[in-house]
Amino acid sequence: MSVLVFLESADDELSSQALTLARSLGDVRAVTVEGPYAPAGWAAAIVEAAGGDDIVGPGSDRGNEVLAHVAAQLDLPFAANVSEVRGDELTRIRWGGTLLEEAKLHSDRRLVTAAPFAFAPASGGEEVTVLSPFPGNGVEVVDHVAPDTGGKVSLADAKVVVSGGRGVGSAEGFAILEELAALLDAAVGCSRVVTSAGWRPHSDQVGQTGTKVSPDLYIACGISGATQHIAGCKGAKALLAINADREATIFAHADYAVIGDLHEIVPAITAELRKVKGS
Amino acid sequence: MFARRALFLLRLVRAARPLKRTDDVPRRVKNEATIVLGQRKLFQRLVPGLMHALIFWGFLVLFPTILMAGIGAIDRDWSFPWLGSQGWYMAMVDIFILAVLTGIVVAVWIRKIVRPRRFDGSHLGEADLILFMIALVVLTLLGWHASRIAAGLNEWPAHWSFLSNAVSHLVGSGASVRERIFVWAHVVVILTFLCYLPYSKHLHIATAAINVFFSRTRRRGRLEPLRFDLPEAELRFGAGTIRDLTWKEMVDSFSCTECGRCQDVCPAYATGKSLSPKLVIMGIRDQVFAEGPNLLAGGELSPIAGNGVPEDMIWDCVTCGACVHECPVSIEHIDHIVDLRRDLVMMHSSFPTEAESMLRDVERVGNPWGKPQGDRESWAEGLGVRVVAEGEPAPEILYWVGCAAAYDERARVAAESTVKLLQKAGVDFAILGARESCTGDPARRMGNEYVFQAYAEQNVATLNETGVTKIVASCPHCLNSLGNEYPDFGGQYEVMHHTQLLAELLREGKLEPVKSETEITYHDSCYLARHNDVAAEPRELVAAVGKPVEMEKRGKNTFCCGAGGAHMWMEERGSPINEERVRQAAETGAETLAVACPFCTVMLDDGVRTSGKQLRVVDVSTLLLEGVSDT
Repeated sequence: MSVLVFLESADDELSSQALTLARSLGDVRAVTVEGPYAPAGWAAAIVEAAGGDDIVGPGSDRGNEVLAHVAAQLDLPFAANVSEVRGDELTRIRWGGTLLEEAKLHSDRRLVTAAPFAFAPASGGEEVTVLSPFPGNGVEVVDHVAPDTGGKVSLADAKVVVSGGRGVGSAEGFAILEELAALLDAAVGCSRVVTSAGWRPHSDQVGQTGTKVSPDLYIACGISGATQHIAGCKGAKALLAINADREATIFAHADYAVIGDLHEIVPAITAELRKVKGS
Repeated sequence: MFARRALFLLRLVRAARPLKRTDDVPRRVKNEATIVLGQRKLFQRLVPGLMHALIFWGFLVLFPTILMAGIGAIDRDWSFPWLGSQGWYMAMVDIFILAVLTGIVVAVWIRKIVRPRRFDGSHLGEADLILFMIALVVLTLLGWHASRIAAGLNEWPAHWSFLSNAVSHLVGSGASVRERIFVWAHVVVILTFLCYLPYSKHLHIATAAINVFFSRTRRRGRLEPLRFDLPEAELRFGAGTIRDLTWKEMVDSFSCTECGRCQDVCPAYATGKSLSPKLVIMGIRDQVFAEGPNLLAGGELSPIAGNGVPEDMIWDCVTCGACVHECPVSIEHIDHIVDLRRDLVMMHSSFPTEAESMLRDVERVGNPWGKPQGDRESWAEGLGVRVVAEGEPAPEILYWVGCAAAYDERARVAAESTVKLLQKAGVDFAILGARESCTGDPARRMGNEYVFQAYAEQNVATLNETGVTKIVASCPHCLNSLGNEYPDFGGQYEVMHHTQLLAELLREGKLEPVKSETEITYHDSCYLARHNDVAAEPRELVAAVGKPVEMEKRGKNTFCCGAGGAHMWMEERGSPINEERVRQAAETGAETLAVACPFCTVMLDDGVRTSGKQLRVVDVSTLLLEGVSDT
């Protein structure tokens, strides 16, 4: 049996795992698509290249979307997030890994995506054929426009986020956070209390109902650490918490903690940084 | 005209989507007796209730006089068999003519002098016209009876009719001509009213009794499940157009009298949101009437969301159920709102963007905050709580922790307290640990029925496999899903709230707390008090550890904390509900604000912090533990 595997790119990690799955199913031909992203257009190119072969893709957002279009165009069943394939029976990972589902594909051709990290990455590259997307097919990405951040680092992309909560005390209180952020090339964020009080716009809010951030360093100043807020900053690689209340729940999530008044500590950090940078 | 319109309405209801509401007949009959005949829900407000009851009971008594007049208009000498010659009946007629007139005077006083805000948005002119017509009906009846006595045509002893008899002396000469004029005036007024009726909000006199009969009897917190296993033509994903409405939803909309009681108790409306439950129902009714002919002809229909009901209104609702509890004609507003959400979420993927991560996290990771499933039992570390692994025997009581207590630092305090108390009292209990997942409640209240049902099936499978029969839940929302909604998916358990179990242990003397002098005000969770009738037990606990003081809005009339209906994961538009509730709590002068729901805990604690009030927000179980530990 022969299998066509769709790779997002030759060195993409999830695609390499998909390749492992594909090899276990039969003789592999690998393809990738180059050109503006257009899920239906890419799918059409893959459908043509596949002939009658099985089709495997990576369990990434793009892989799942393109394969879904392939399935729609072929009018065939498609199983996403597969961790094992045995003939037309397969195991799928569902509910965020809490559930393994045994399923059967009612089709002669198998259309599957590999669950992320369910397979070891393939060793040794395959020769990859580059396809061009079929134009005029469904939605096509024309351009990406980043929102105007007024020359500042955007919250979602920032490597460092300096964030303030109720402890900051007022809209003016954010001046010391802005100062520190400028030094660190960081974005300024805030908790929900701050936006509710009207000290900062909602676009600055980090949390469940605001922006989700995943910087290298998240500095939480005067933030108590409600679950709703942690949901927005749990992706941070390191969390530094500054809070006067030693009972604050933010400390349970913090990698580094300073117990004390942020109005003294933040300017002190700024001053120290200036010294270091100045020397 | 009446018949034609009535037929049109009947055809609409017959064209609507099916719904089973014919079980539990004894309780339905009882509702009919108390809510319709006894006017129970109207009497939740004394003066307007009395006003309505006088008019309503009046017309029950006066109903035979309509027949008497109808035939009497044609044949002057005809007398209603037996009843028409009974003096006592005619005395009652006079009494209730007075009663109705009193009712009308009170109604005019309420509408013109008091002018409560609940009438904002109602058709006021229509109401005035209806009152005027009711007055005409009884006045012409009075005139007819009086002139009949004056003309000596009364077949009943005149002295019984104290009022008509007195008025008869004013009739003077030509009484027999006036008798004819009055009886015809009476009949014409009634027939005119009859034609106008089905085009007006006064239609409720025909549909309200039907609506009450078919309203929910038990399990009030349960939403009607959607069935995804039906053939394509019968499938329904909530309510997109009026074609998707169930017949109960349609009769709901016909029954609305625009009295505005729902609007008056709505926490969203009270805090300046766009939602008014009354306007939702009126909007649906207007659209049903406007597009009804199209529906029957199988034509194109426009969406309800954005037309009859603005989208903002649909998302403002916290599903607290205050409107449903209040409605005198048993309209079930939450069903309408959730059906509209279901269509928006499942068919159009259109909902407030900030709720997206909650929906995604519930679907993918099994809790609304996207925390790892493996951390679910970490709150219980070091507490010595048994975790039932697969294949192990079920405990006597399964403690259902819920996502909030498992993951939120403020909410978990209550779980820790409950566990310590259960251990102290020697209760055999255990938790499911990582085998527990979200009940699906926030997804369901948001309108994502798919995700809810998937979780319902998964959780029911786990619980049934384990052989669980009795569950104690710390979260009223979990309690509601487990107890009221899981039976639809094959899960039959005895479900109780931790405050119920703790109250039981208290009564049995297994917990003996010390009473303090602290003034405590208890905030009822909507899903506990209103949807599930648990209001007495938490108060028993509060009374055992301190001095209870009550807020005005309590028990079934409680005021939401702002988190219900998945609002825990949405941004609030307008002034915050939680701060309003904290203001109400602070007014009592209490030092402690006791709660019994993890979401109330978080919301009200936030409210205390932002409003700067001096209140300690704490779960009843923690208060009890403190009381017990003091000994």
